[in-house]
Amino acid sequence: MRRLNYSTPTVLLAMTLAGCAGAFEPTKIGSYALEQPAASAVPPSVPSRIYVANESSNDVSVIDATSFQAVGTIPALNHSTHDLAVSRDGRRLYATNLASGRVSVIDTVKRETIASIYTGERCHVVALSNDDSQLWVANIGENTISIVDTTTFRILGTIPVGKGPTGLTFSHDGRFAFVSSQGEKTVGVIDTTSHQVVKTIPVGANPHFLVVGRDGHVWGVNTGQNDVYVLDPETHEKVGTFTVGDKPQQIAFAYKGTAGPLAYVTVGSQNKVVGLGGDPGNLKVVDEIAVGEGPNGIWSNPEGTRLFVAHDKGNEIRVIDTGTGQTIATVPVGRKPIRVVVSR
Amino acid sequence: MITRLLMTSLSLAMWGTVGTVSLAQADNIPIGSATNAIGTLTIVRTDGVQQRLQGKGNVPLYEGDVLKTDGSSQALISFAEGIEVALNENTSFKLLSRWEKDKPTVRILRLKQGEVWAKTAGGPKRFEVETPVATASVKETEFNLKVQEDGQSILTVIEGIVQFGTPFGTCPIRTETISYGVRGKKCTKPAATDAKAARAWTDALHGTGK
Repeated sequence: MRRLNYSTPTVLLAMTLAGCAGAFEPTKIGSYALEQPAASAVPPSVPSRIYVANESSNDVSVIDATSFQAVGTIPALNHSTHDLAVSRDGRRLYATNLASGRVSVIDTVKRETIASIYTGERCHVVALSNDDSQLWVANIGENTISIVDTTTFRILGTIPVGKGPTGLTFSHDGRFAFVSSQGEKTVGVIDTTSHQVVKTIPVGANPHFLVVGRDGHVWGVNTGQNDVYVLDPETHEKVGTFTVGDKPQQIAFAYKGTAGPLAYVTVGSQNKVVGLGGDPGNLKVVDEIAVGEGPNGIWSNPEGTRLFVAHDKGNEIRVIDTGTGQTIATVPVGRKPIRVVVSR
Repeated sequence: MITRLLMTSLSLAMWGTVGTVSLAQADNIPIGSATNAIGTLTIVRTDGVQQRLQGKGNVPLYEGDVLKTDGSSQALISFAEGIEVALNENTSFKLLSRWEKDKPTVRILRLKQGEVWAKTAGGPKRFEVETPVATASVKETEFNLKVQEDGQSILTVIEGIVQFGTPFGTCPIRTETISYGVRGKKCTKPAATDAKAARAWTDALHGTGK
């Protein structure tokens, strides 16, 4: 049987020579901006929309973010649609599909799925890099992060992480990605320039959802011990924790009048949203809003005056005025809505 | 007449429902076949059932299959689109695809370990090989790709052009050059190499060994 002809020393020599050359600059691809028309032809803006991932109906509900009227439903063309990420210009929506292990790429203008990308078994959460050029997808079944080029839709690399990655977010400066690992009760900090896990932070039982706050702190929920925690963006240390009740789900940031921004947490078993404020090291309940059955996904408008809450038992979205705590609209969506995002 | 209309409507309704459920290729349509194994090629189906090929044969392959060779085995497979792939020893990959609207399906190998040689024929193809740190994307080409334990990926282009991408950039790698993909770095500048030697290990599979 013939064997590979180049030996390891040959390979190393070739690598060394290649490394010395230096002049070769690969083309940076994946910049979403490259796809945009020239500045003189600025495309018309896309209306602000609320998108809801419906896990049991395998689709995405679309709601007008101004009138709160249902606009339509987009089939994900996969199974168990779970998490969403929307591009900064609102033209692309990315949806993970747990059972398919695939990400659906959705053209929000045409309201249709235009690509289906296999990332890994039980792909769970998705986050866009700060420049929208890369999509990072956490695969629970493989304990990896897949990196997808948002222009070519190619998988460009895979990063091994801790067991059961279920939460994912980037720091404000884009230097780090944070990944919660249920199986290890930790959050891993990934250096985005080396793709190495540079720190592992113990956070508690069953860490799940992760999000970066308006001031850069990273917030997470521990579904196993009913609390939320806060990570310092500079030191990557856990600087705060607060018990909110059984089944804490997701977090969004908004104001209650002059107070805030508060971290609003959906508490699944208690049908309420809890607003936490104060210093991360000394959190306290500033607001508490009764909602419908099974609050799960939550998002706020850019002004921080509205909360959009997905109810995975009630199969509806409620729009809440944070100033009064009143529900100002209720919109039926698909079955088992898990995640809600709003385009700008 | 009414019955026929009802049945037609029902059929259309059912077709519409099925058609919107999933884009994944039907599990019962082969996407290619395993045609030769020196030693043993193990095929692990998505339900965990294993099938083996020893010697020449024609074992159908399906989306989601994992193909494995051990330390003393090599194998040859082909895809319906006209893509031939050889697996060297200790190689494992998964058969995947990417669907894009109004475009042919992209056939994808997710190479976990080992070494593959691939050649496309009969016009441009949409074919990619993913490794832990890079992806090789081709249309009309012949190339060899080896992934090491740390994920480092060594691409040798025998003929044609391969777009070799990492999260840090994509390089066009041309005939008779070699490039390396390493975690956290751009692909290296292509260097001249004896590319034809890189496929010598496939001679026995192709029946051209001396």
